[in-house]
Amino acid sequence: MTVPTHVLELRGISKRFGRLAVLRQVEFVLAPGEVLGLIGANGAGKTTLLSIVAGLLPPSEGERRYWGEPVTELRCEHRARMAIVSHTAQVYARLTARENLRLFDELRGTAGLASAQPDALLDRLGLGHARDRLAGTFSRGMLQRLALARALLGAPELLLLDEPFTALDRPGRALLADVLLEERSRGAAIFLSSHDFDAIAEVADRVLLLEGGRIVGQVARRDAADFRVALQRLAGHLPERDRMREGLRA
Amino acid sequence: MRSGSLARQAWILARNDLRQESRDLELVLTAGFFSLVVLVMFGLSFSALDRHAQVLAIPGVLWLAVAFVGALTLTRIFDREREADTLRALLVAPVERQAIYLGKAAVTLLVLVGCNAILVPGLVFLFPAAAPMAERPLETLALVVLGCLAYTSVGTLFAAGLASSSGKNVLLSVILYPLTTPALLLAVVATRALLEGHPLFLTYLGQLAAIDVVTLALSVWLFESVLVGADASARRRSAAGPRR
Repeated sequence: MTVPTHVLELRGISKRFGRLAVLRQVEFVLAPGEVLGLIGANGAGKTTLLSIVAGLLPPSEGERRYWGEPVTELRCEHRARMAIVSHTAQVYARLTARENLRLFDELRGTAGLASAQPDALLDRLGLGHARDRLAGTFSRGMLQRLALARALLGAPELLLLDEPFTALDRPGRALLADVLLEERSRGAAIFLSSHDFDAIAEVADRVLLLEGGRIVGQVARRDAADFRVALQRLAGHLPERDRMREGLRA
Repeated sequence: MRSGSLARQAWILARNDLRQESRDLELVLTAGFFSLVVLVMFGLSFSALDRHAQVLAIPGVLWLAVAFVGALTLTRIFDREREADTLRALLVAPVERQAIYLGKAAVTLLVLVGCNAILVPGLVFLFPAAAPMAERPLETLALVVLGCLAYTSVGTLFAAGLASSSGKNVLLSVILYPLTTPALLLAVVATRALLEGHPLFLTYLGQLAAIDVVTLALSVWLFESVLVGADASARRRSAAGPRR
């Protein structure tokens, strides 16, 4: 049996909501151990694209391949190999941090196999001191880290992150970047969208620019003498107000 | 293998709901007090009736209370998922969609049966004609469980369909009552048969069980389309909204 070279492959993905075309002919591949960044102005279609990859939305056209297999509808077996961190934490406020992780650990069926994993993940994400506190009492940054801890349960092979740096302070962002790089070195494929240009420059191997639902440019770290400068040049396509919002100097 | 996983995940999700419920008792207190108020109101209104009239009134009182408490519970059963958007966390997790349905339906059923633990003894206490319910506890329990299950199986399906929406709980009642009325009517007839010691009581119970099997099977089958369709609609609205 051949090992698929790509964790994810999108071919000609388009998405329409009624007459509104949100994505048009999006194509890219994602290899194991690669961090692929996605930047674009507000409303460019980043969240819709992530939702399609996560299986929350079906594409109107095009093909999705996961681990080399064409998939029209994601099954439990696919979802067991991937995880998503949304821009909202999506955690149960009336459960403690540990209970939130244990719930999903049990649902994955991995609880008996690695019972210490939730606690280890909470420690890794700097939430060890708050493991028995209700998630409803957490700050937004802590919730974001808890959501990431949940996503890392079961060591997913494909990690999807929608604006993961939002609401994180500087140490939180550094911690998240470290965790993502560790996951990449483990072999996980990571696809993330972000408005945080510095953060994405730090972790991504390749960055796509999405504009009006199309991928209009990309830059790879290995092809650029100075990745950050190449990214700034790429981001020069973004409308002025978005660059200002993201703190870019054109 | 899959059914084992389905049952396990449904149990984990139901237990999770019960754990959260134990912390604020939101559903239990609302449903419990509502049952008590309904019971007292009907008790004050109908206690002067003669025995024959009571036999006619008690089934209506019981199942009307179940319908109201059920609607109240169903409008809130997905609140925890709605308020923190955790439904999407479940949708992207390796969780069988039907397990979400079964977990929610089990909790709703538990709340309704729990309310009947207030309603039935209350009716027996207030109305002498309700004495057969206490004299035949197993038949009464079967009637309550089967009647509530019919209501719950349909209600949970539509509550899920509205879980991704906000402020649309009114739609639940509009959809729920017409769809559950046949089962509730059969439950009313079966309750009257129980009170009268009618020989067809077990037949009615069997018919109620058949309705349960059909509604449960249909709901399990339809649940994924209803849930994922509702979530996709919510995403469509949020994607299209800012552009308008």
